[in-house]
Amino acid sequence: MESQLKSVGKRVPKVDAREKVTGRAIYIHDLKLPGMLYGKILYSKYPHARILNIDTSKAEKLPGVRAVITGFNTPEIRIGFMKDQPVLKKDKVRQYRDEVAAVAAIDPDIAEEALDLIKVDYEPLPGLFDPEEAVKEDAILIHEYDAKGKPLKNNILKLPWRLIAGDVEQAKKESDFIVEDSFRVTWVTHCCMGTSGCIALFDLDNNLTIYSITQIPFLAQNDFNAALKAMGLKGKNTRVINTVIGGGFGSKLDTHVYEYIAILLAYRTRKPVKILFTREEEFFAQPPRQPAIIKISQGCKKDGNLTFREVDMLLDNGAYTSWGATTPSVMMVPISSLYKVPNIKYTARSVYTNNIYAQAMRGYGNPQATFAVESSMDILAEAAGIDPMEFRLINVNLPGEITPQNFKVTTCGLKECIESVGEGLNWKDAKKNKKKKRGVGMSSLIHVGGGARVYKSDGHGMIMKVDDFGKISVITGAVEIGQGSETVISQVAAEVLGVFPEDIQIIKGDTSICPWDVGTHASRQAFVSCNAAIMVANKIKKEILDIAGKYFNVDPENLDIKNRVIYLKDEPENSEKQMPLDKLLRRAHFSKHGTMIMAETFYDPPNEMLNQEFKGNLSCTYAYGTTGVEVEVDTETGHVEIKKYFAAHDVGRALNPMLLEGQIYGAAVMGTGYALTEQLILKQGKVMNDNFLDYKILTAKDKIPIVPILVETIDELGPLGAKGIGEPACVPTAPAIANAIHDAIGVRIKDLPITPEKILKALKEKEKKG
Amino acid sequence: MKKFDYLKPTSLDEVFSLMEKFGSNAKLIAGGTDVMVLLKRKRIFPDVLISLRSVPNMAYIKDEKDKIRIGSMTTHRELETSTVIKEKLTALYDAVINLGSVQIRNVATIGGNIANAAPSADTACPLLVLDASCLLISSKGEREVELKDFFIAPGETVMKQDEILKEFIIPKPSKLSGSAYWKLSRRKAMDLPILGVAISLAMNEDKSIKKARIGLGVAAPTPIRAFKAEEFLTGKFLTDEVLAEAGNIASKEASPRDSIRGEAWYRREMIRVLTKRVATISFKRANIV
Repeated sequence: MESQLKSVGKRVPKVDAREKVTGRAIYIHDLKLPGMLYGKILYSKYPHARILNIDTSKAEKLPGVRAVITGFNTPEIRIGFMKDQPVLKKDKVRQYRDEVAAVAAIDPDIAEEALDLIKVDYEPLPGLFDPEEAVKEDAILIHEYDAKGKPLKNNILKLPWRLIAGDVEQAKKESDFIVEDSFRVTWVTHCCMGTSGCIALFDLDNNLTIYSITQIPFLAQNDFNAALKAMGLKGKNTRVINTVIGGGFGSKLDTHVYEYIAILLAYRTRKPVKILFTREEEFFAQPPRQPAIIKISQGCKKDGNLTFREVDMLLDNGAYTSWGATTPSVMMVPISSLYKVPNIKYTARSVYTNNIYAQAMRGYGNPQATFAVESSMDILAEAAGIDPMEFRLINVNLPGEITPQNFKVTTCGLKECIESVGEGLNWKDAKKNKKKKRGVGMSSLIHVGGGARVYKSDGHGMIMKVDDFGKISVITGAVEIGQGSETVISQVAAEVLGVFPEDIQIIKGDTSICPWDVGTHASRQAFVSCNAAIMVANKIKKEILDIAGKYFNVDPENLDIKNRVIYLKDEPENSEKQMPLDKLLRRAHFSKHGTMIMAETFYDPPNEMLNQEFKGNLSCTYAYGTTGVEVEVDTETGHVEIKKYFAAHDVGRALNPMLLEGQIYGAAVMGTGYALTEQLILKQGKVMNDNFLDYKILTAKDKIPIVPILVETIDELGPLGAKGIGEPACVPTAPAIANAIHDAIGVRIKDLPITPEKILKALKEKEKKG
Repeated sequence: MKKFDYLKPTSLDEVFSLMEKFGSNAKLIAGGTDVMVLLKRKRIFPDVLISLRSVPNMAYIKDEKDKIRIGSMTTHRELETSTVIKEKLTALYDAVINLGSVQIRNVATIGGNIANAAPSADTACPLLVLDASCLLISSKGEREVELKDFFIAPGETVMKQDEILKEFIIPKPSKLSGSAYWKLSRRKAMDLPILGVAISLAMNEDKSIKKARIGLGVAAPTPIRAFKAEEFLTGKFLTDEVLAEAGNIASKEASPRDSIRGEAWYRREMIRVLTKRVATISFKRANIV
């Protein structure tokens, strides 16, 4: 098989790369429609306050202003996972970024000026910014009522997460070593290069078109149709059209308040209305990854076999829910199934606070959970007197395993990942001949690798049509947010059809044209869309070969296509029995009773939704990987330098090694930022660093010597064997670095990011203790 | 962002007359990497921006007999690529190569960096330890102010309403002297210092210190000199103990504060650490055999 592959497995550059680097790609920032107005949003001045009055009269009189809307003059639209957020707030504000009014004007400056003329009277209320305070029974209520108007008794979200497998209490008794620690992770944000924005417009029949950067166009259509219903436009439809998207990373997994505001303004003005975030808004008005306080306890036997893992979490949800409120469901993946642990107990509570509300971000809870699990693995290994790499190998997941959460492990290259990273780091030597202030550390990961059934369908629709020139249009529901699915779809389709990737054109990003797809999330897009591409391309191929069989008067089974030419398998050199694909297509099209060749499919992977006990085969295959680093710590300044960085990933099959490595490079930088430098700093609910100067995403000059290692396990259900890779590589970085720092200087930092200040403080503590 | 007029005078006389006409409603702009940020963040509200970009003869590096003159409109990139700066004003070179990014260094000017009077200005510490003076000119004449007397408070200098910063005058470092600057930051580009330390040392033949200068950035409301630590070092030999004590003294002279960019205790601690390290580099650069 390997040697036969023509397109798959090749380093094909991203099909959209040239358009992007030459500035030709059309982002939402570039798009302008005739008569378009510009919307701007007025945010709250308080983290928690009652709104007494909003006076918009002065703003309305400003020349150039076309509409000023508030919660008082528009229908109420409620959004969010628990529908707990009104788009425009009128009773209370619950976070600094709460939207209290919005303006549409003929230019952005006028809209901005109008915002300054809106007068809002507030009655400030005490705020809750500490999740440990917010869970208390006597804490003030952030939401007095739920979405249905039922009074709420406390700030804890009615989403109780509880996974039990085996008997943790019994296992504790049987353990020779037990460790217990508490970890903290804080807010980080996606830092998409493209800021958020949309353009909404209504036609004369009140159907909505929205130019959008969503990564879930069909769920967005569903959300926006619900909004239309709330606006009294029941039965009207939304067409979501994607522009080129400047990064997703989970930030576009929900529909957002600004989009609904654009819709309300467009409806009010009957004009297209564009809202485009400033970079500052992108930092403070775009939900980040959720912070958590994680208590973890693990035990093992003398021989190193893990006996149990118990985790309790408190998550700071912020003021409202997004899909991100369900991240504990994915946190369960590493907690239950990373390494063989027979007994599991996981509980999590998510609590409302007056902080900025959180959402999904690359890894969907997995980076937070893995930081705790893999830091604890090293602590336990030390307690048991076992080398941390050896400890991981003792407990390594293997093919054929059924995990405590009922995941059915098919292919699993974790052992190979750990070993290859160990080799890269010269692990044994680094441990034996330890250099001063240098240390090595590793961490592994498990993630969904074959879709994830978190919605009624995990499906992907695809249409393929062939034109008279042998070119193929693939009409897909997939959204390209930079991951490269368009490129790999082209490669896979070309592989099946015996043509070249450049013969494939991807048509996407329009809910009125493209078939349904649940969205680009859960590292699923290459997995589902390439599986769909194989199914539909095989249909197309069969149609083509059937026609060719008639033409040559041979059994179509004996025909194939290679390099755009149909040929006889038995006599590949027989030019009499060959025909260029395009010629045959024209013949088929323009003959009497001609035919056009097109086909469609809907691929829904064979995975299961978690049951009420949160068990089930969530994904039809799982991605594994290991990151290992060597660090050097400057014990005077606390600065950490990464000397070596190996990232081994069980990718099933590398459909395109260049793109895969790109995913790993990007994720490594993102993961290192999470480990060392990135955090949204909130003070009493206010984002203090809403700019790239003070939000420390790493730059090209902060070179991390990343070495990707691709482990191919050729998964049975994967498209040509491939698994998902979008999220995994950013998951294990932080614990790997934390473990390496501990190895280097003997201090364990348990809260992210690991700043020089924290390192120095810990070193001083250590010195004091002697 | 507030609307404003952008004026581009082509001579100093024209600049002065515009400054007189608009007074405090005008803001001078050089490279714009600070002014535009202030404007966008609604921290300043000028009616008029007066650009110095089209005024001739404002960007230069003059290597004279005993002085080096740097025109205020000289960009960081011009400084970075100048062999005079690289070889003779090493502390300044250390500062300009790590400021922002190449794109920013292509427009940001040294005059702007100093006149903006941020405590974190990267070129301030090196210029302080190189005993730089600022040449200020107005329609009435010119005056020279030593940089150590130039800053008053964050964003505030001794410059009068009608004055502009024309050039920096730097005495040429003597033989047996060396200087260095260390920018402590979270990342290696696009960052401000958490702390900046510049040191220049002029040595005696016997390896004792003839003259020491220590400049600290983000250690006080303005870039400062650590005079007491300098005095302590004078006449001493650079032993570990001397360096440690110099660091302690400098640290006590500073008055750093807590900010989102760094905590005061950490800055204080780093003054100790970096004084040692930067003095050592400066000593090496003095090339005493």
